[in-house]
Amino acid sequence: MSTDLGSTAAAEAAAAADPSEGGFDWRHFLRTYAIIGILLVFVVALTILTKGTFSQPENLINVVRQVAAIGVIAIGMTFVIITLGIDLSVGSILALAAVVATSLAQKPSDRMMYAGLDLPIILAVLGGLAVGGLLGFTNGVLIAKFRIAPFIATLGMMTTARGLALIYSDGRPVSLLEDPYNNIGQGSIAGVPIPIILFAVVALGAHMVLNYTRFGRYVYAVGGNEQAARVSGIRISRLTLVIYTISGVLSGLAGVILSARIGSGNPQLGTGIELDAITAAVIGGTSFKGGIGTVWGTAVGALIIGIINNGLDLLDVSPFMQMVVKGVIIVLAIILDERKNA
Amino acid sequence: MTKPRLRLAAIFVAAASLAACSSGQSVTTSSSTSSTSAAPAVTETQTAAAGDAVKPKDGKVLKIGVSFPILDQFLQKVADGMTARAKENGVELNIVAAQEKTDVQLGQVENFIADKVDAILVVPVDTDAAGPMTKAAQDAKIPLVYVNRRPSDLPDTVPYVGSDSLVSGTLEMEALAKLAGGKGNVAIIQGDPANEAAVLRTKGCKDVVAKNPGMKVVKEQAGNWQRDKGLAIMENWIQSGEQIDVVCANNDEMALGAIQALKAANKLDKTLVGGVDATGDALTAMAAKELAVTVFQDAKGQGAGGVDAAVKLYNGETVPGYVDVPYQLVTPENMADFAGK
Repeated sequence: MSTDLGSTAAAEAAAAADPSEGGFDWRHFLRTYAIIGILLVFVVALTILTKGTFSQPENLINVVRQVAAIGVIAIGMTFVIITLGIDLSVGSILALAAVVATSLAQKPSDRMMYAGLDLPIILAVLGGLAVGGLLGFTNGVLIAKFRIAPFIATLGMMTTARGLALIYSDGRPVSLLEDPYNNIGQGSIAGVPIPIILFAVVALGAHMVLNYTRFGRYVYAVGGNEQAARVSGIRISRLTLVIYTISGVLSGLAGVILSARIGSGNPQLGTGIELDAITAAVIGGTSFKGGIGTVWGTAVGALIIGIINNGLDLLDVSPFMQMVVKGVIIVLAIILDERKNA
Repeated sequence: MTKPRLRLAAIFVAAASLAACSSGQSVTTSSSTSSTSAAPAVTETQTAAAGDAVKPKDGKVLKIGVSFPILDQFLQKVADGMTARAKENGVELNIVAAQEKTDVQLGQVENFIADKVDAILVVPVDTDAAGPMTKAAQDAKIPLVYVNRRPSDLPDTVPYVGSDSLVSGTLEMEALAKLAGGKGNVAIIQGDPANEAAVLRTKGCKDVVAKNPGMKVVKEQAGNWQRDKGLAIMENWIQSGEQIDVVCANNDEMALGAIQALKAANKLDKTLVGGVDATGDALTAMAAKELAVTVFQDAKGQGAGGVDAAVKLYNGETVPGYVDVPYQLVTPENMADFAGK
């Protein structure tokens, strides 16, 4: 019985938005594909404004590489927001995972955190992911077991994890890393930068999970109608635990990617990235009203953020103006979000 | 009913205390908040020199109360400078930290006054909210000296001991301009533009560029003190195709990010990069001939200067309104002097 409920709830949600006047469903079409149109508008506009520089293949690769960490986090955020949650702690978890992972991947030098430590790089990476998972799991416990609102629980984690990152690293960047670790952020496989590959793998995996597994159906069901999902026997608290753990692990992965990219685990990494991730999800069509959102939409949303950042730099827009432009784009995205749910 | 509330309260307390901790510690990586010294409005300035001990006139062991906003890595060095100088001067220090709270700090100053200390040193939590502390000390006729962060409203009789952010930008860019032979395109990576240190360092950088007819600022973007932002900005600038000969970054972290982008594009050998802070990573990059210049802020010198000023005021000597503890240029020639400072 519970197995069917997910799809039923999703269908109901779709039906609710359906004008059901027969003929072509423009609203549904726009909701699903408007984001691609927006992406294309940005690409064309920036190509013209930069006289072609923007569309150079190296620059496009540049954009995706820069946005890989945001994208990975935004995918976790999509799961969270679909189930009516929010995760403000992603940037701080990223930082703690980054300082832990990098501390396990330092080259021999007199500035090593653990003198003489020589671990395989994979253990350093797993260390970062484990830290992320542990903190994400803690978020899940606070929310599911202690019934603390996600906003409050993850707000507490946001400051706590940042503090832990500063304590762990003594406020200094953890640097002089082994080359294989740096390669995770700086290297390529067959010409494709590794951060992009990781982003693509995460996106593909998350897309499969959300669309082709029972877990994915439950995610939509809980977000669509928590009461109905509960009555039908979905174990919501366990689902919540898993979702926040996923968000934590992905934040940890983003921490590994970012620290490897700059060759240094800085405790200040990822400040403000939660807003970029939320923006990416919302631009990509994930609704704060729950039950609605796609991984590919979020991925496109992340690309749009990367394009905006890159484009504003290419066009030499002043730092203050950049803030205004980004803010306006976020608000426009939310207005779009409200409209399509109206 | 009460249980969830208790839990909430516990979380807030934990969060607040850690927030205080983290906001203070951010100073160490960005050196932003610690170095907020406006161009002084006072006419008289004096450059502090680590000279002879300044002894109290009556040979009494002075008691000086010191209030820090928080003791993070940078401010701890300021405190170390005070402690060392106090020993030389024959002064007893009582150092407290105010958890980055204005009201807590005012309370500490009031306690010092009640305790009848001989002088008070304060690194203000909020440079716009130092008025009540100044007034309390003046009413009690106890000498007061501000250190490291300059209060916006400061009477002439209360000295400030610190460094001028503008100078760090000037020193950095002057050295870069010299290395570049006075010509070339300059790109500036700013710290958080809402931050006074970023604004002043950028201004210092631009002032020097303006003095060199062969140079011009072609790019300017905010990297918010962070290495990953510096990296992304530099990558985008490289993509823009504009020739960039000199990168003047407001701190070392962003300079190191720019260096990495330039290295990846094989352009580092044609580009000069400068920063501020002389961090460990920066000195490593300088040793590898990647970073051309950086600038050192003398935390211990500020602490020592503060103690000296307090003892002089107790002695009835005049102390200038602004005691400058100079920034120091760090280049490959003298970098060994700054390791571990």
